[in-house]
Amino acid sequence: MKNSTLSVEDLKVQFSRRREVARAVDGVNLDIAAGEVVALVGESGCGKTTLARTMMGLEMPKSGEVRFNGSPLGRRAMREYRRKVQMVFQDPSGALNPRDTIYEAVAEGLRVHKVAGDEVAQVAAALSKCGLRPPERFFNRYPHEVSGGQRQRVVIAAAMVLEPQMLIADEPVASLDASVRGEILKLLRDLVDQHGLGMLVITHDLGLAWNIADRIAVMYLGRIVEIGSCEEILEHPKHPYTQALLSVVPESKRMEQQILTGETPDPLHIPKGCRFHPRCPLMQNGEADRLGIADRCRGADIGLRDVGQGTRVACHAI
Amino acid sequence: MLLSVRDLTVTYVTQASAVPAVRGVSFDLESGASLGIAGESGCGKSTMGAAMLRLLPSSAHVSGEVILNREDVYAMPFSRLRAVRWAGISIVMQGALHSLNPVRTIGWQIAEAIELHNHDLRDHAVRSRVGELLEMVSLPAKCAKDFPHQLSGGQRQRVLIAMALACNPQLLIADEPTTALDVMVQAQIIELLQDLRSRLNLAMIFITHDLSLLSTVCDRIAIMYAGRIVEEGPSGSLLSGPAHPYAAALAAAFPTIGDHSSRMTPSGLGGDPPDPTDLGNGCPFAPRCPRVEELCLGYDVPLIDIGDQRKAACIHVEPSRVAL
Ligand SMILES: Nc1ncnc2c1ncn2[C@@H]1O[C@H](COP(=O)(O)OP(=O)(O)OP(=O)(O)O)[C@@H](O)[C@H]1O
Ligand SMILES: Nc1ncnc2c1ncn2[C@@H]1O[C@H](COP(=O)(O)OP(=O)(O)OP(=O)(O)O)[C@@H](O)[C@H]1O
Ligand SMILES: [Mg+2]
Ligand SMILES: [Mg+2]
Repeated sequence: MKNSTLSVEDLKVQFSRRREVARAVDGVNLDIAAGEVVALVGESGCGKTTLARTMMGLEMPKSGEVRFNGSPLGRRAMREYRRKVQMVFQDPSGALNPRDTIYEAVAEGLRVHKVAGDEVAQVAAALSKCGLRPPERFFNRYPHEVSGGQRQRVVIAAAMVLEPQMLIADEPVASLDASVRGEILKLLRDLVDQHGLGMLVITHDLGLAWNIADRIAVMYLGRIVEIGSCEEILEHPKHPYTQALLSVVPESKRMEQQILTGETPDPLHIPKGCRFHPRCPLMQNGEADRLGIADRCRGADIGLRDVGQGTRVACHAI
Repeated sequence: MLLSVRDLTVTYVTQASAVPAVRGVSFDLESGASLGIAGESGCGKSTMGAAMLRLLPSSAHVSGEVILNREDVYAMPFSRLRAVRWAGISIVMQGALHSLNPVRTIGWQIAEAIELHNHDLRDHAVRSRVGELLEMVSLPAKCAKDFPHQLSGGQRQRVLIAMALACNPQLLIADEPTTALDVMVQAQIIELLQDLRSRLNLAMIFITHDLSLLSTVCDRIAIMYAGRIVEEGPSGSLLSGPAHPYAAALAAAFPTIGDHSSRMTPSGLGGDPPDPTDLGNGCPFAPRCPRVEELCLGYDVPLIDIGDQRKAACIHVEPSRVAL
């Protein structure tokens, strides 16, 4: 279990609609190691869920690879992989079947994967690991008979019962009340600290990342545009997109708001050059011209580059 | 005073049960001022908002007073109430994003809201008012010809705000206006609301479960729990030094980025949300309260003045002031 890593290399995922192609994930590189929480943040539609689904083998990449402990994800090892890498999906209402008891919901994975051993004991252990104690009291209840926070714990328990090495959690607290949110985040962080699993948490909530993440990857229109340690990214953001995103979060310290105009960008029409340039404050306030980079911003695509402190940024201005 | 709410109580009565959704809420709002209302799901925020305009279903039994410009909304005849809706107070309802009519254009729907109160306006006057309202919410005039499905969520929210402004209300109630929206779009809508407030001298009640939003939008904040206001005060001092343990737990759920004491220590509140049909006699927050004492279990504390324009309902805030 030591040193397991989940990585994606130059991953591209596309959807065709009529005659157009949506480049939902457009060249992503990312590693998640055992024992760390990586937060993936970005606006709605930037490709976060698509990236996660592809990492689970639920979407086929156009090109690039997903690797687990070095070996590429392929049809042969898929069964094994699906046990070791678990996902908590974005839509909480669909995650639990209303007609299954909580016991059934958690035991299902064990049955699908034909896991040997005492089923009742394993279900009980997973529930209590997720803070539903004493577990027996929850066995025969239905999803509607527990609170929203408890339902999310059940969903996490159903993933944890298989003792995965990696967990991908897509917006794990977005549907929960603020008062319950902290409890679930504490649970996720504890699972990483106590059981050594690696975790990718997808969220648009930067305060959440500050609460539990070791590293942050900022995604914009199918690409990671900035990645580094949580402190560096949130205290010294380098990419103008990260800066804008941070400036509109109420939890960030008073910084001047940079509200980007326009609606969320469209993966059917990814701009040429730097994909952020049509909304970039540096282009709009003339800073790019002063730096003499405006032509490159408009014409030259740019990948991640090392800028020190372990941070990598994709911006011509840096 | 623009609005005074006194001891507002709403109970939903069904065959099976009686749900006390709002239990004696009082507050004041001056013209042009803004009040934020926060609290967890089911605490009665939307019920309270809708009660301001008598928009609740007939199963809702209401008592108390809602006084708008010295007139009690609950005492006025229906003809007068119609005039007060939209022109006095108007509401952007929770989840209304999905309630726009899919087969009518945006322009048609805004015009309908205008004509509701100005029956004798000529066509061209209505059309120019539609244009004016679209401009007010920063939408291009050509949106008037679009159907709802052609607009994004953020644009649809702007349309709803334009409709709410159609009759120049003095007070706008916005119930979770940004909840389904993305962070950047949320910031755009909040910027719009603030801009409208100052340009039109509009008073506002902003309802949300996201306490962190309110600091930028509102002068004052009221925190609700189980149908009551448990703390009320100026945004700044309430958020930086909440007096009620529930307000403190809510505030702590939103860490300050850059504050290293909140790094890797998410903070939450244990226990289940209260069941409104089974609240008992004590403080309704007692079962989840980290500071609960024997006394809390049998004594339901009213909202008490704690100075600096603040009020809180907790025996710990200033025990000497609690009349036992
Ligand atoms: N099955 C699909 N078919 C066609 N297009 C899709 C499909 N799934 C996603 N897309 C498109 O790919 C883009 C990325 O979507 P994705 O769901 O990955 O975004 P996201 O970052 O998870 O957004 P959100 O924060 O709203 O969940 C969007 O433009 C979306 O419309
Ligand atoms: N029409 C109704 N009939 C019966 N009970 C109702 C009705 N509408 C709301 N309730 C109940 O009244 C209480 C308050 O509901 P309300 O919608 O006002 O809460 P809220 O604070 O707006 O919650 P949310 O944050 O989820 O919007 C809840 O217990 C709810 O179940
Ligand atoms: Mg998603
Ligand atoms: Mg509501």
